[in-house]
Amino acid sequence: MTDLDLVLGDVRRGMVPAHIYNDEEIFRLEKERLFSRAWLFVGHESEIPQAGDYVVRRVLDDSFILSRGEDGQVRALFNMCLHRGMQVCRAEMGNASHFRCPYHGWSYRNDGRIVGLPFHKDAYGGEAGFKRKGQTLLPAPSLDTYNGLIFLSMDPDAPPLREYLGDFTFFLDYYTRQSSSGIELRGPQRWRVKANWKIGAENFAGDMYHTPQTHTSVVEIGLFREPKAEKRKDGNTYWAGNGGGTTYKLPHGTLEEKLRYVGYPDVMIEKMKEQWSQDQLDVIGRDGFMISAASIFPNMSFVHNWPRVEDSDDVLPFISIRTWQPVGPDETEVLSWFAVDAEAPEEFKALSYKAYLMCFGSTGMFEQDDVENWVSLTNTAAGTMARRLLLNSRMGLLEDGTEVVPPLTREQYAGPGEAHVGYGEYNQRHLLNRWADLLERPAEKVSQVEVSGVPADRAEAGA
Amino acid sequence: MSLDTAPTGPKAAEERVGAKPTGNGGRYSAQSRLGGHAPRTERTGRALPFDDPRHLQAHQWMVEEAYILDAQNYEDWLDLLTEDIHYIMPVRVTTALTAGFDSAPHMAHFDENKYSLSRRVARFLTEHAWTEDPPSRLRHHVTNVRTFATPNEGEIVVDTAVLLYRSRGDVREASVISAGREDLLRRGGEGWQLARRTILVDDSVLRTQNLAVFL
Ligand code: FES
Ligand SMILES: [Fe+2]
Repeated sequence: MTDLDLVLGDVRRGMVPAHIYNDEEIFRLEKERLFSRAWLFVGHESEIPQAGDYVVRRVLDDSFILSRGEDGQVRALFNMCLHRGMQVCRAEMGNASHFRCPYHGWSYRNDGRIVGLPFHKDAYGGEAGFKRKGQTLLPAPSLDTYNGLIFLSMDPDAPPLREYLGDFTFFLDYYTRQSSSGIELRGPQRWRVKANWKIGAENFAGDMYHTPQTHTSVVEIGLFREPKAEKRKDGNTYWAGNGGGTTYKLPHGTLEEKLRYVGYPDVMIEKMKEQWSQDQLDVIGRDGFMISAASIFPNMSFVHNWPRVEDSDDVLPFISIRTWQPVGPDETEVLSWFAVDAEAPEEFKALSYKAYLMCFGSTGMFEQDDVENWVSLTNTAAGTMARRLLLNSRMGLLEDGTEVVPPLTREQYAGPGEAHVGYGEYNQRHLLNRWADLLERPAEKVSQVEVSGVPADRAEAGA
Repeated sequence: MSLDTAPTGPKAAEERVGAKPTGNGGRYSAQSRLGGHAPRTERTGRALPFDDPRHLQAHQWMVEEAYILDAQNYEDWLDLLTEDIHYIMPVRVTTALTAGFDSAPHMAHFDENKYSLSRRVARFLTEHAWTEDPPSRLRHHVTNVRTFATPNEGEIVVDTAVLLYRSRGDVREASVISAGREDLLRRGGEGWQLARRTILVDDSVLRTQNLAVFL
């Protein structure tokens, strides 16, 4: 039996009980208390650009149709027929004006409203028996977007997404708003790994420390201009709002030179200068930091890097967005998308896609070695010995809690939140502290929706 | 109808006009934004008889390649590939029967040319490609070989089915990847070389930790 208070207390002082990476009981609590509340990324508006376009995405065990109605609005509809609960849409993507349930033929418009109910009169006596009017597929409790990124929350009282993200939006813009058109998102590649979902989120949030070791091979084969993987320690790790990430330190030069250094063409740089605030531009131009990997609590991550994609000295940047979708305590479905600015030149889009495939995703040469580690870690955390081991996740802190290096000052870093140069596990602690905050709070009761219900005292349910 | 005159499969008519994916090939390479350099040669006619020398050579080539991939002799494998190779593995998605597509638009698992494949191979040759150290135990099972002529004397199209069994460590379940492949083989100075490969994996969600393997 796990003593939850003890586990959360340990986590909060930066000592991580190893079994939380593979524990049925913890996973049950995560489902009940964390994934029932947090905002979770499910897709991007560019995946469903036309009226009638849809994709089907899951939030843990719940399937939702993300559909763009004839009115242009994006909705998330619980993929369960209001009649006897059949899955309404069994394709993963497509375009449809209606969804017809294969079981008894009820049909729904792409905004969720019921339109067809065979034999309504004969079977139910019409509206007197079953109120067809106003019935819709159950919408997700909360839906909100930022820069076209669609998030769902299972909590009907979730705070507005903008508030939840907080100052992390400052960094989100680097990934998803390089021009006024924002990104187009392609994919996702989907694959299941026998690893706990938290490990990837923690790694992308702030694990600069693993790069020199885990990713030696990609440096050795000349994929990067930087000759040494340990270059990373000159970058900073920042946390702002509900997310954080890592950066690389760029060589001296102007803003334009720095953006060119990572491979952006001038036409894109001009648009960035229009889109981003002075502070956003200063983090790159003045302070010399370029965003790399990042995570938003709980399970969404980003990566931005700039490998060589041909046998030449030129590099080209790419962006990937992904979620670590929990399947079980020891299994995660990775959904990894490629993102690119919608206004980027076509050739840039093609080569950026190539850069992505070479580095991240199901075949990515970075990702391959990451996942190998995380699968082994999860495997090793399953037994009783892991329950005796508290891992030190305090990198960057002395025993008395003072920081090994002070945070960057406003003169050194124009971004929000707090940033430190060098190795540290600041962000892993931020993530797990939020995790602890949610795991501590018992879940609220959920309200139910009755499909053309009747008051309890009138229900004469004959056989 | 005797076997000799029967079409080679239910979709043979469409294969001839190349209108629809065959379960192996299709237009994936031509549609890829990274496929601009790729050869466009298509099959003609029905599958060659099994005693046609070209079929026998193609079959032997496929089996030899499978052994090279099992042994992870990737430098030897690179030698089997032409300089203009396009090696593509689309991301399969579940779509309605009438949707007209079965893969994620403009997204693949592999979408490679010789350079990117050579980087992947170079990485395995470093001593720091942890995902394959210790190496997986691999077995490529290659079957259902059909060979087709093309308008070009020195090129043939070969369909195969491949089942890859990949086992790592001792406690993890092995992963299995099933796929259909359509290959374009070109005759060069040293025999046949692979000029285009389309891998149609049969899963929309892969059940393997990564694709640090080739199919
Ligand atoms: S369950 Fe959908 S129509 Fe009956
Ligand atoms: Fe990594």
